[in-house]
Amino acid sequence: MKGPICKVYLSQDCTFFTRKEILRLFDRYRDLAPQLVPLDYTGKPAVTLPYELIGSMPELKDNPFRQRIAEVFSENGDGNMTLDDFLDMFSVLSEMAPRDLKAYYAFKIYDFNNDDYICKSDLEKTVNKLTRNELTPEEVNLVCDKVIYEADVDNDGKLSLEDFQHMIIRAPDFLSTFHIRI
Amino acid sequence: MSYHYNEAFENPDYHFSETLEIDRRRSSQKNLFPHQSPYDSSLHVSSGEHSGRGQNYPLAVRMASMRHGSEYSRDLPRVNVLSRSPYGKSTDNLSFEPEPELALSLPSTSHLLDRPDTRGISAVSEEEKLVGDLASMSTSERIKAIQKMPENMKKKREIRNKVLKEITEKSRRGRAQLSCCTQWLQGPALSFRRFGNSLAEYFHLLRLWHGTLKIIGAEFGTSVLSYFIFLKWLLTFNLFSFLINFGFITIPQFFAAEPNNVSFTGLELFTGAGYFQQTVLYYGFYTNATISKIKNGPSYNMQLAYIFTVGIYFAICFLILLLSMAKSFCRNFINPQTYSGNAIRLLCTWDFNITNEKAVKLKQKNLSTQIKEDLMEVNREVLNLSVRERLVRIVIHLVSWAASLGTAVAACAGVYFLSINNAKLFVNWHKNDLESQAATLLLPIVTSLLNTFIPLFYSWLGHLERFQTPGYQIYVTITRIIGTAVCASWGPPEFDIGRNVLELIYVQTLTWIGILFSPLLPGIQMISFSIVFYVKKVSLMMNCQPPRKAWRTAQMMTSFMFLLFFPSFVGVLSVIGVTVWRLKPSEECGPFRGLSSMYAAVSNWIKILEGYTASKWVVWIYSNLITSALFFFILSVLVLIITYLYWQIIEGRKTMAKLLRKQIINEGKDKIFLLEKLRVLQRVKQTPPVLREQGRQSPYSAGGSRGTGFPQAWSSGTGPGSSTSAAEALALALRAREAAQWEDEDYD
Repeated sequence: MKGPICKVYLSQDCTFFTRKEILRLFDRYRDLAPQLVPLDYTGKPAVTLPYELIGSMPELKDNPFRQRIAEVFSENGDGNMTLDDFLDMFSVLSEMAPRDLKAYYAFKIYDFNNDDYICKSDLEKTVNKLTRNELTPEEVNLVCDKVIYEADVDNDGKLSLEDFQHMIIRAPDFLSTFHIRI
Repeated sequence: MSYHYNEAFENPDYHFSETLEIDRRRSSQKNLFPHQSPYDSSLHVSSGEHSGRGQNYPLAVRMASMRHGSEYSRDLPRVNVLSRSPYGKSTDNLSFEPEPELALSLPSTSHLLDRPDTRGISAVSEEEKLVGDLASMSTSERIKAIQKMPENMKKKREIRNKVLKEITEKSRRGRAQLSCCTQWLQGPALSFRRFGNSLAEYFHLLRLWHGTLKIIGAEFGTSVLSYFIFLKWLLTFNLFSFLINFGFITIPQFFAAEPNNVSFTGLELFTGAGYFQQTVLYYGFYTNATISKIKNGPSYNMQLAYIFTVGIYFAICFLILLLSMAKSFCRNFINPQTYSGNAIRLLCTWDFNITNEKAVKLKQKNLSTQIKEDLMEVNREVLNLSVRERLVRIVIHLVSWAASLGTAVAACAGVYFLSINNAKLFVNWHKNDLESQAATLLLPIVTSLLNTFIPLFYSWLGHLERFQTPGYQIYVTITRIIGTAVCASWGPPEFDIGRNVLELIYVQTLTWIGILFSPLLPGIQMISFSIVFYVKKVSLMMNCQPPRKAWRTAQMMTSFMFLLFFPSFVGVLSVIGVTVWRLKPSEECGPFRGLSSMYAAVSNWIKILEGYTASKWVVWIYSNLITSALFFFILSVLVLIITYLYWQIIEGRKTMAKLLRKQIINEGKDKIFLLEKLRVLQRVKQTPPVLREQGRQSPYSAGGSRGTGFPQAWSSGTGPGSSTSAAEALALALRAREAAQWEDEDYD
């Protein structure tokens, strides 16, 4: 906490963090752009940090999905985050968040076109991000077909949230891998 | 009287909801607050919270109530045995809780019956319902429920403010006076919760090795990190053991300590004998007297303290291990029959912990290699191994098994004979000099050497076996296989998680065995674990590369906890049980000298207590509960009955899950069928009327296979195309479902 004038509005009940952790996260947020972020949040200033700053954080800068993560958690879906969005993001990605919540947001991250379904184009983008474009288009196509065949329970050719959650049940590692330590 | 909470309420963000309550309570004269009735987290709340961010979760709530009247329900056996709140302790136990799944699945089916015009109205009313539900919960439940909502922070804060407003409204109206009992409990409950919060914050401050763990996770991923987390957990566990033993046994011993006459030579650090024998490190040093500093003051019976401390420590260990194992099992259990394929590898296991650029690139490369391999295996046909190859495989397996078992037996026999003969051959117990002490080191050295080299031999055998699988068909000849296995693996090795975790479990077992005779052994173990942590970390950073294959961390950790519990802990308990009950303690030293067994201290104490009338109840408990076989028999029968009940519940729910899955598939088929029909109708609408007469027959033939009654309903229902209303769609869906069920029944 920097100085006695710092007054962060504490959203303790809305996140999984303790008060001290929220203050620590506020310091991290402020360190990204000290001239933009005021120390005193009493007046609830509408400060938004651009995506470039968020994406340059050491925890996110090498993550292939950093842009989607920022878009999902930002208010307008453009990747620019307020302090609220910032806290929300790390709260969901912390180890205290329950599996349902994580599954919900993971689904949104993989849903590139925001239509509430992971369709084949979303899957193709995901595969390319995960393999750094090393697979040929035919291989990508094959993989996506396989994934849809395996995971699509209601046979509509795309994955809904329920299909995704059904898959998550069979991957107990999900809780520990969908986790960013900050 | 003005309520202070009003102005506090205007800036609710400065307070927790708890402090608001304290303010509220302080400012009121009369306790007219309703406070929260014993919590009532209904299914409606849970289904409401699973909704879309910014969407109308209300629809899911409405569907939940519709569910009871839906046609599908008659197919499903209702297993209503334990109506647990989905946000109770089993939050993550999705595999065994059908209710949350149903609630989750409902928003998709609602697409069929959606009415866009009613969405706005229902959203508002459902939000009010949600607020009402939250307001009627207890504080901790409410906080948990708000935390788990998949909404952004602003929305959550709005909802929280509305809930608080609702609560204050309720209190102002003076409704629902709770019994004074519950109100009286609120104060202590509140302070207890705040205490718990501050304690949790200080624990978080400890955050031992947080930075190091973050670095390890960043470069090597979650699986390697799990080893270090396990190590950290064992360290805190040993800290707890050390504190208990130190507090209850060692500190009193300091008051009755005898002076140490033995000189300190350096060899003690290796043998542990010599100088250390006359310190609190060993059982022999402890007095058997009743310590009392002040004459006729409170006394401390060392014998009872020793045996009770060790006993209660093991009981607490048992509970901790049981609870961790159960929690881990709950979180990580998957049905071993379910097939985990590409989908999971792609979508669910990308490790967000990895933040090192090189590591990320490596992982991406590994993933693409794995995918390519999988695709190649799919394209390749299933290989039929010739009889000769199969025989060779079996022979290799048998040889490896024989070799490993033989080595194990030989090692055990060797250690046993050495330990018996060591005393005779090398050590002269009466001469307590350097030579004989050094000779006692022979056995530990031999054991350590065996422990180091035999696992290497086993992993070599494992390599040998692995290369026999058809997946590695590039290694055609057996000589090439052996050669590859024998040579050092190219490039840096991977961190062998399994072996390292087993070593930790082995070390912990040794600690437990030794605790009876060396109470401060956990302290030494803590030091050893800290050294191990740093050594492993350095060797990992310098020598190893990140693991190639995704390691099923969660399941392996569960099985390791299981290993820690069953063979290790239960074995130790048996050993200690035998020692305490049967073996005669040493005559010359230790707190139990002169008794026939360690347990005799307790029985003697009970005999003494029989003399006092005030403690008759202790004697009664002892003779009727602890030493009676009937009590334990009844207890065991009860446990077995409860286990059987739970097992039956699980079976019932498995059946229900299967049926639900079938239902989802059927609904999908219905949807496709109806969409197809709608498309056909659209086409019919667009063709000119003349053609429609002629074309009328063809669309219906497609539906002919779906049951006899269907085409008639269809043809009677269609006018000039304006009748494709949702109500008709619903009727069509129901008839389609009926028809499909007749089909299924025909096939069954």
